[in-house]
Amino acid sequence: MSSLNAKNKDAFHELASEKSGSKGPKARLRNCARPMAPGTAVGGCAFDGAKVALQPITDVAHLIHAPLACEGNSWDNRGAASSGPTLWRTSFTTDLTEIDIVMGHSERKLFKAIREIKDGYAPAAIFVYSTCVTAMIGDDIDVVCKRATDEFALPVVPVNAPGFVGSKNLGNKLAGEALLKHVIGTVEPDEPGLCDINILGEFNLSGEFWQVKPLLDKLGVRVRACIPGDARYLQVASAHRSRAAMTVCSTAFVALARKMQERWDIPFFEGSFYGISGTSEALRRIADLLVKKGADPSLLHRTEILVAEEEEKVWKRLEAYRPRLEGKRVLLNTGGVKSWSVVHALMEIGMEIVGTSVKKSTLEDRERVKQTLKEENLVFESMSPRELFSLLLERKADIMLSGGRTQYIALKAKLPWLDINQERHHAYAGYEGMVQLARQIDLAIHNPMWPQVREPAPWEQALVV
Amino acid sequence: MPQSAEKALDHAPLFCEPEYRQMLAEKKLNFECPHPDQVVSDQREFTKSWKYREKNLARQALVVNPAKACQPLGAVFAAAGFERTMSFVHGSQGCVAYYRSHLSRHFKEPSSVVSSSMTEDAAVFGGLKNMVDGLANTYKLYNPKMIAVSTTCMAEVIGDDLHGFIENAKSEGSVPRDFDVPFAHTPAFVGSHVDGYDSMVKGVLENFWKGTARTEATATINIIPGFDGFCVGNNRELKRLLDLMQVNYMFIQDASDQFDTPSDGNFRMYDGGTSINDVKAALNAEWTLSLQYYNTRKTLDYCRDVGQAATSFHYPLGVEATDELLMVISEISGREIPEAIRLERGRLIDAMADSQAWLYGKKYAIYGDPDFVYAMARFIMETGGEPTHCLATNGTSAWEDEMKELLASSPFGKNAQVWPGKDLWALRSLLFTEPVDLLIGNSYGKYLERDTGTPLVRLMFPIFDRHHHHRFPLMGYQGGLRLLTAILDKIFDNLDRETMHAGVTDYSYDLTR
Repeated sequence: MSSLNAKNKDAFHELASEKSGSKGPKARLRNCARPMAPGTAVGGCAFDGAKVALQPITDVAHLIHAPLACEGNSWDNRGAASSGPTLWRTSFTTDLTEIDIVMGHSERKLFKAIREIKDGYAPAAIFVYSTCVTAMIGDDIDVVCKRATDEFALPVVPVNAPGFVGSKNLGNKLAGEALLKHVIGTVEPDEPGLCDINILGEFNLSGEFWQVKPLLDKLGVRVRACIPGDARYLQVASAHRSRAAMTVCSTAFVALARKMQERWDIPFFEGSFYGISGTSEALRRIADLLVKKGADPSLLHRTEILVAEEEEKVWKRLEAYRPRLEGKRVLLNTGGVKSWSVVHALMEIGMEIVGTSVKKSTLEDRERVKQTLKEENLVFESMSPRELFSLLLERKADIMLSGGRTQYIALKAKLPWLDINQERHHAYAGYEGMVQLARQIDLAIHNPMWPQVREPAPWEQALVV
Repeated sequence: MPQSAEKALDHAPLFCEPEYRQMLAEKKLNFECPHPDQVVSDQREFTKSWKYREKNLARQALVVNPAKACQPLGAVFAAAGFERTMSFVHGSQGCVAYYRSHLSRHFKEPSSVVSSSMTEDAAVFGGLKNMVDGLANTYKLYNPKMIAVSTTCMAEVIGDDLHGFIENAKSEGSVPRDFDVPFAHTPAFVGSHVDGYDSMVKGVLENFWKGTARTEATATINIIPGFDGFCVGNNRELKRLLDLMQVNYMFIQDASDQFDTPSDGNFRMYDGGTSINDVKAALNAEWTLSLQYYNTRKTLDYCRDVGQAATSFHYPLGVEATDELLMVISEISGREIPEAIRLERGRLIDAMADSQAWLYGKKYAIYGDPDFVYAMARFIMETGGEPTHCLATNGTSAWEDEMKELLASSPFGKNAQVWPGKDLWALRSLLFTEPVDLLIGNSYGKYLERDTGTPLVRLMFPIFDRHHHHRFPLMGYQGGLRLLTAILDKIFDNLDRETMHAGVTDYSYDLTR
């Protein structure tokens, strides 16, 4: 376990040695690595984080080495979209039983399972995830994966992020470590180009990234790897030849970006594809980094033209929604990059933010929230369902934007709700996404059902009068 | 770009637009090293063959697409059926997030569960401190009447002793000494959610019954429903029937209100459930009936140990099984089955007779929890259908024997096959090699529906991709009617789809059926 410990520290090294921000390195580390309080329910574990961060690599078989629990309760529950393979959505697990554990059969079972996947599915690679039980009984998945890699001539990648080592956030980072150690840089691309980029921490939920990619295509910028959203193993393996990178969900992959910069000299920035100015800013910075790395300077000019065209179009399209949404009050209960990027996007269409949560957000994310909102008391940490319920009522929210687990809290408060987390069914990224977001908020707020939900039953009304 | 403010396309149609199609096709060429279409389609055909089926069924180390969940999930569901009870799972955080999502996605309700947030330190030094702090926090933050503790694999592997830990936590003042903290050891590497349910219900009963002697037996029947994704509709329907019969009964573990709270501006962290006083009083009941055998084996043994008479059913569905349930209740309560229920039975039989021609000889594949598969196979045979494949990932050899006995009891079960321990990927091969007309199972069956073209009737747990099914009963004669309608709808919808091509197949596109 000591080596795992060292690796965890390393994963957080990023946060501890950061240059900006008002707090010291220790505080920064505490902030992200802090254990969760017993007796509460906050969120996933490191295993969950690692799986979430890697599973959208679509032509890979993701094998969960565990008793049934970790996979049986959770398989196929993310809304990332694939433009081809469906293998990533198939659930593979070793389903360890008591006999396997007591008799020490688990490593052999894992090796056999890898063979069964290879024979039955011929995947581009197999990712093997350790979990609480297999880590505690001391299974050495690194060795098993190494042997399998050699024997089957197939990349078999160990992902060491058992649940108990920490938070979901840590799991994201450990997933990045696994990619760095075993995947990225193992394949040389045929024709590296001067305008190749990586997008890190973009999950392509409901196909969101596909709304952004045509913009990059127009600029002649090639996405060598979008990790993990709709990625192929080959893309990830050759990502080290890109010229620049953007991290979308920094919480997940900023450490990966930093290390790729150190190792292969790939400059990166943290950005977002939510909101109009967010998207424009991201395009500009991509162009800027590429030009600095040797791309044709005309890219900058072409980007400005594209941004101007697209912005003009999208503002025009949004005009229809503005009068219906201006001044409406939104409470956001989400995490990471969305804490500020969605806030910014909503303010662009004239909505009022009455609160945003910063759970799982990095300190940079938190800083950005503060800069955007300019008011401290609108920012809250993760809270219990009851507190959230009260906050919605106190601040007279018109709508809550959050993930599935808290949606029913808004509904019980008789408030409209819109999913902006992994189960959402609409794509909100890019200029296109902004129109869709406005439309969905409009539909949610103005549904004729709400008055009925809110008014008491007619006989109760009569009593009141 | 095809978007406009007047007509903002949803992502589903949006990505069908030609620009996007082309973009995605290019990706395949550039980054997938794609095989030629012919190779892909040959391979696809191969996976439909008997040869592949043999390889697939021979799999030993690998489970692909399981149809079971783990013990603590069952325990969490069980705890939700008691008054103001907070589930406390002793283990790391992630598991609990999964249980909450799982239950929330199925019931469309919030689900409150807390974790002792064990981390690496706990793995090395044991989770006692987490238990002490965790119980204290839960008690303070969520104001429960009872905290039901279950375990995850992690706590089980390091061997944490719940009884001792809870006693220690009480000594340290985490919760008052007399506060109820029932517990159950629920390792996920043993059994499945149905076993976890069993352990937790037994844990709750033991907590209140241990050391208490039965006074005189009262003429009350305890009813334990078992892990049931349709508990909202089922429990209410059963209560209605029992009220009609004027029976004295007590539901032990009733999550129907907890997972169906009204929208009236209040947030209920807890709602409904069996009250603590009722659980205490239930010790004196004459009988305990369980509606699901595999969910309550240990619990029923315990009930017998304390001196109660006990028996169990296999998730009673359809005519015969409902008859059996009501007659047992009538016999042990001495209450007659009233006219109103007799009429309901007649209506279900009438409906089955009306539709018999459409159901006779239809072949089915059924998968899910052991009791449900048993019940469904029985109902299918009542309608003249053949339960061709009966599969339970958490089925045991004892279940297999019971199934075979059931299937042997009817000519319609003659060709049926029972598949204990197999997963949904095995079922895929079964459906290709020995096709059926209908598939019955949970939402995960939609991939089998797509791959094999077998229409799916969604029943049981979890149902993530359809709304409100669980609010309607499956049990009782009314439930039978709903079950019958669901199957018929699927048959007719499918028939319409197949026959709707004008001038080609519409010779069977009939208005009256």
